[in-house]
Formats: sequence, structure tokens, C-alpha cells
Amino acid sequence: MKTELKKLIVAAVIGSQFVRGSLAQDSTSTNAAQVQIPAYAADGAGGNTAEAAEIKALKQEVEALVQKVNALEAERAPAQQSATIQDLDQKVRILSRERENDQEAAAAFAKTQPKISIGSSGFSFASADSNFVAQLHGLVQLDSRTFFEDGGNNGNDGFLLRRARPIFTGTVFHDFDFNFTPDFGGSVVQIQDAFVNYRYNPAIQLQAGKFKSPVGLEQLQSDPYTSFNERSLANDLVPNRDLGIAFKGDVFNGAVSYTLGLFNGAPDYNGTTTNSSFQDDKAFAGRLFAQPWKNSDLGGLRGLGFGIGGSYEASHPNTNSATGLTPGYTSDGQQKFFTYSSGVNASGAAWRVSPQAYYYYGPFGLLAEYVVSDQEVKKAAASTDLQNTAWEVSGSWVLTGEDASYNGVTPLHPFSPHNGQWGAWQVVARYAALDVDNKAFTGSVFADPTKSASGAGAWSIGLNWYLNKNIRANLSFSHTEFDGFTGKAAPGVVPAQAENALFSRVQLSF
Amino acid sequence: MKIILSIILATSLAAAAGAKEIKLLNVSYDPTRELYTEYNAAFAKYWQAKTGDSVTISQSHGGSGKQAQAVINGLEADVVTLALAYDIDAISQQAKLLPADWQKRLPNNSTPYTSTIVFLVRKGNPKKIKDWDDVVKKGVTVVVANPKTSGGARWAYLAAYAYALETYGHDDAKAKDFITKLYKNVPVLDSGARGATVTFAQRDIGDVLLAWENEAHLALKEFGADKFEIVTPPLSILAEPPVSVVDKNAKRHHTTEVATEYLKYLYSDEGQEIAAKNFYRPRNEDIAKKYADNFSQLKLVTVDQEFGGWANAQKTHFADGGVFDQIFQPQ
Repeated sequence: MKTELKKLIVAAVIGSQFVRGSLAQDSTSTNAAQVQIPAYAADGAGGNTAEAAEIKALKQEVEALVQKVNALEAERAPAQQSATIQDLDQKVRILSRERENDQEAAAAFAKTQPKISIGSSGFSFASADSNFVAQLHGLVQLDSRTFFEDGGNNGNDGFLLRRARPIFTGTVFHDFDFNFTPDFGGSVVQIQDAFVNYRYNPAIQLQAGKFKSPVGLEQLQSDPYTSFNERSLANDLVPNRDLGIAFKGDVFNGAVSYTLGLFNGAPDYNGTTTNSSFQDDKAFAGRLFAQPWKNSDLGGLRGLGFGIGGSYEASHPNTNSATGLTPGYTSDGQQKFFTYSSGVNASGAAWRVSPQAYYYYGPFGLLAEYVVSDQEVKKAAASTDLQNTAWEVSGSWVLTGEDASYNGVTPLHPFSPHNGQWGAWQVVARYAALDVDNKAFTGSVFADPTKSASGAGAWSIGLNWYLNKNIRANLSFSHTEFDGFTGKAAPGVVPAQAENALFSRVQLSF
Repeated sequence: MKIILSIILATSLAAAAGAKEIKLLNVSYDPTRELYTEYNAAFAKYWQAKTGDSVTISQSHGGSGKQAQAVINGLEADVVTLALAYDIDAISQQAKLLPADWQKRLPNNSTPYTSTIVFLVRKGNPKKIKDWDDVVKKGVTVVVANPKTSGGARWAYLAAYAYALETYGHDDAKAKDFITKLYKNVPVLDSGARGATVTFAQRDIGDVLLAWENEAHLALKEFGADKFEIVTPPLSILAEPPVSVVDKNAKRHHTTEVATEYLKYLYSDEGQEIAAKNFYRPRNEDIAKKYADNFSQLKLVTVDQEFGGWANAQKTHFADGGVFDQIFQPQ
């Protein structure tokens, strides 16, 4: 390239000499040598000494010019290259800086944007600073119950929508959590939970509204995670959801949790809860639960938790239209096997105590609780203090090796038959018993032994299939025997014969 | 029971009477990090000696406009120390967190120190940049932040514009042409003054940085006087970065008293000296004389003189569709 350039320059220089020569022919200030060049060049053959000298001189001049051009090129090229390199370097730096700024701006912008997430834990919408969060969860349970050897009269065989709950939870102004959970399952639409919880810090929280009364261990276990379709007989003696206000918190990094609240006061378990008070007196309920090794390195003890729950209500007026008593104790098949006689009211103090514990280690799980429910009752002039008791022990084993826990099982290999994955499988077993104070039946004043049993004992076994974190299927069988019933085995009388029930469930929870 | 209540009451009173631990948040603009790091320590010491209370001041820095917007959006500043009054006005007008006449509450329009815009060039000043005319020459690469988000960049823009107005007999068309040429030389706009310094000093981009005077000195200190030099143009703008308590936030945090004193102390001898040491021009004349060597003499024009105040300058030049939007074309 350079050689070509030089040739061009030389040609141009020579050409210019010719031009100068021809121009000189017309010039008045004649240059003799230049004038003769075209003549010589035209001859093309030899020439005299003067012409040769002239040519030599011209050659020298051309060579000198070429050298000058070379020198100039050599001088200019690095400078030009350097300028180009500097220019390119700046451009690269600018682009790089722009990219840096764009990334910073994008990161800053992302921080200001609301976050939306959808996953196995539900739908979540959060403000950029996480001060406001709204979450939508859901729980749907489609059950079937089949009763055997019941003469076709007790318990309806069939499907039922046990629970159908959209669950709205969230946080406003960072520290205020809320929960609103209606239930469209069963035959009555009711509000299960509706509360606001203020978190000063994890150890100091104040919750107000309608929520589970802090007494029973199994009752406090979240609905999607219970071992069986229905909670045990022990659950008959603890309160369900109640309206009130409670201080609660987790201390020592969650190793100890406490709740102490003031509530309207709820009778022994009633599946249908109210949204107002039915009497003037109020109840205290509280629970203290410890998992001392929760944060320790002692793997064998990390899953051990134990505690005590209880409630106390000073006096219950027997003049109220509401009895203040349970509408009835129910079997695993949700059939009433004990009810108080007509005209019996709660009257005076009522208290409950429930020592409770669970233990989870690897795939093994064990849950146990004991409940005493003491209630003064009155019917007309007769009154007495009744102390009903119940207990349960349930065990579980995850066949596929996942960890069992109070908060369910998460399958390691979610159901995907195409990939040879079958989810998690768990076997469960339980025994529970409930004993009604015999004084209830004295003289058949408070309860009628021809209509109610004075106790029940039930064993259950089951198989739970966790297809994934959201879908679960259960199959279980319960056998319940009733004590103290003296009535006839007439159709429709529940405790007249043992209850044998097969349960199944398909559950969606997120 | 009475004994228990007495003990609780006595304990509560004793606790109330004890020393308090106070926390303040100062939301400031980009180049004041070093100033307030030093000042906060001095104030905390002063306040503890005076009241026995310990005060911890957190700092937040960014482009002044962005910082104001953050406070409007809920950043709970107890005090704001921003690059220009317009940004604090925006907090007052849009979020109603402080009264409209906030600037009257402290001396010198609540501006305890001033500054100006100078040129930071590479050592030896290879492009021979001496005045604003040199900055708009073809082939000169200028680094400056985005005036939409940076207070310092707005001051720099107005300084250049003011120079053009002074030079071309207040011919607005010529001034607009001048500023157009200037921003044609700007290859990248950072969101804040500190970002622009990084672009120039650390990323080695450009021939000249239009910088806060204190930021230029800091760059020399930080990166070495063997790499850069400061060129003070004959004319620039008097930059007045104001300060204010954010009343509603401070009230909610129960920090009104300490926040007010925090800003008042900027006018004290110690506060002024710290400002001067950090290359902010102090209001106190004695301290200004003491640190005269830190500051070059130049003609300083004000926003009021040249642009009819900040509100007008903002509306004309920096609001959406304003002069800056008209003249700046991203490269």
C-alpha cells in the first residue's frame, strides 16, 4: 500500500515537472532547463551531456522528494495511530461507564418497583421496601367418609367439601400483619380467622381479632398438616377459635414461645364459631411451649418440644340463653356421641389444662397431649363440677425418608411419573380417648346415658401421600368404641355401636 | 401491689431521667460524605458534652434531586442538607413535611456554607482549558452529571449559561447555542456529582470535569495532585447548598430539638472550620480569611441575578421540556 502511494507521489511529482515545463513554455519568465525537458522526453533517444545532467538532477530531486515523503509518513503514522488508539480507548471507556451507570440505574430502579411472586407458597405482592405485603393462600379439602357396620343409619357416606378457604394475609407498615380467612367449606360459610398482629419485635407481639385460642397442641397445628382428616378425641376438650386480644412472642431465637390472651371464652370444641360474645364474663387463655434444643447441634433433640396450655374463666352466668357448653363431643367420623341434657348450662368457673409435647427426628414424628376440661354446670337447682379428660398419642413415619415435622412434610422428589418420582409417603397411627365425668350421668341430670356415651376410645391408621408441596392425598381408617351407653341400639343412635370409618382426602394448599 | 407500682414508677422515672440514645438521619447530596463524616463526629461530641445524650447520625448520599425524591417518597430524614433550595422546596411542596418558609429559619437563607463550580483537568492541562470558552471547543470531552438528578450538575449548567449570558450581552439565543455546544462535548451523564468524579478520575474519561469546588479539591487529595489540577474560571456561580430540619419526620422521631441544634451547629466556629477544611466556603468571615488559601478568587454570579431565582431556573431549564431537554441529545 505504501509502495503504491510512493509511486503515485513520484508520478505526481514528475508529472508536475512536465506540467511546470509545459506551463513554462507559455511563461514569460522562462526557465531554460524546464523548457527543454519535454523536448528531451519527446526524443526519447540518448541526449547530450547537458540533458543527462538535467535528468540526473531531476532524478535526485525526485529521490529527495520521495525521501521527504517517506520521512513525513514515518513521522505522521505513529501520531495518527496513537490518536486513533486514544480515541478508541475513550470510546470503550465511555461505553463501559455508560454500561456501569445503566446497571446502577437498573438496580436502583428495581429497588423502587413492587415485587410480585408466585410460587408454592402462594401469591405475594410486596412494595419495594417490603413495608406492604399482600399474600393470597388457599386451602381446599375434598373428603370422603364411608361408615361400615352402622346399619346404614349413622353417618352419611359420601363426599364433602371439608374446607374451602381463600386465605388473605399480609403486612402493612412493616410491623402490622393481618389475616383474613373465610371458609366456604361445609354447609355454613364462616369467618375462621380475622386478626391484626403488631410485631414490636419477635418477642413482643400483640394480636387482636378472631383466631385460635392458645390451648390445644393439635388444634394449633395448621389444618393442612394434621396427620389425619379429623383431629383426635382430645381436641374435643379444647376451645376452637375465639375473639380476643393476646400478647405473644418467640424468645431465645424461637426456642420458647408464649401466648397470653383475654378472650370472650369458648366452650369445648365447637366446629361452628361465632363472631360475638354470648355472655359478659371473659376468659384468659395462654400457652407456654419450649423447644430447648431447637437451635443446638444435638440433632436428636432439636425436634423435641413440650409445653402447657390452659384457660380460665371465673364464672359463667347460667341465665344466659346460650348454654356455654359444648354442643357435643364428636367421634373421628364427626358424629356426636355425648351431649348435655336439655336445660343444662355452664355456671361458675371453667378451666382447662393441657400438657403437650411433640418429637420429630428425621422421618419419625410423635405428638401427644392430655387435656382436662373442668366446668361447673347447673340444671335448675342441681349443680356440680364436671371434670372431663382426654388424651391422644399419634405417631408417623415418612417411608420415603423426608423429615417429618409439626408443619408437614416436603417431598424431596415431587410427583412426576415421567421422571420416576412419586412424592413422599407417610404412614400414621393414633390412639385417643375421652372420658366424661361420671357425675354428669348421676341421676341422669346433666347427661342421659341412654342417649350419650360416657367415653370413647379410638384408634386410627392412615397413609398420607404428599405429591408435592401443594397437593396431598390421605387414606385412613378409624375404629371408635364408646363406653357407658345404656340405651337401645336404635337407628340413628351413634354410641350404640362402634364406629368404623374410612376416610380419604385430596387437598390443595398453597 | 402499691409497692410494686411504686417500684415500676420509680424505675420508669429513673430510666426517663437517664441519658438518651438519639438517632438522626441526614439525607444529603453526593459530595458531602467527607464533610458530614467529620462534622457528625464533632457534633456528637458537642451534644454529649452539652446534654449527656449520645447521638448517632446516619448519612445518606446521592444526587440532590434523587435524594429529595426519596424523602418525598418516604425516606425518613430528620434533616436534609441538599445541593440547592429547589430540592428542599420540592419536599415542602409535594410531601408537606416542612413549612414553605423553611429557608428563613436559619441565617444566610439556611445556607451555612457556599461553594462554586470549577474545572478539574488532567495534569499539565493538555487541552489548555482556562475558561468556559475552552470547554465548548470541538474535541474537548467534558464530564458532568445529569442536571435532572444532580444538584451540582444544575449549578454547573447554570454557571456555564451565566457565563454565556455575561459574554454575549444576555442574548439568550447565543447562550442556548453555547450550552448546546457544551453538552455536545459530554459523552456520558452520571446521576450524581460523585459518579461524575468517578467517571473522570477513576475511569479516565474526558478532558475536564465540571466539579464542585470541594469535590475538585477532594479529587486532588484522593487521587494525587500529580494527576489532576484545578482550573478556576474567571466567572462561575455562587452555589448555596441549604439545610433544613424535616419537621414532620423529626417530630415523629422526637428529634426536633437535636435536629435543629445539629444544623445550628454548622454555623458555629467549629462547624464553619470543618466546612472550610473540606473546601466549602464558610459564611464566617474570620474563618473564611483563615482558610483563604483554600479558595481562589473569581467573579461569582447568583441564581437570583442571572435566572430570577431557583423556581424560575428550574422551570425554564430543568423541568420536562425545558432548555436542557431541548439541547441535550444523548450520544
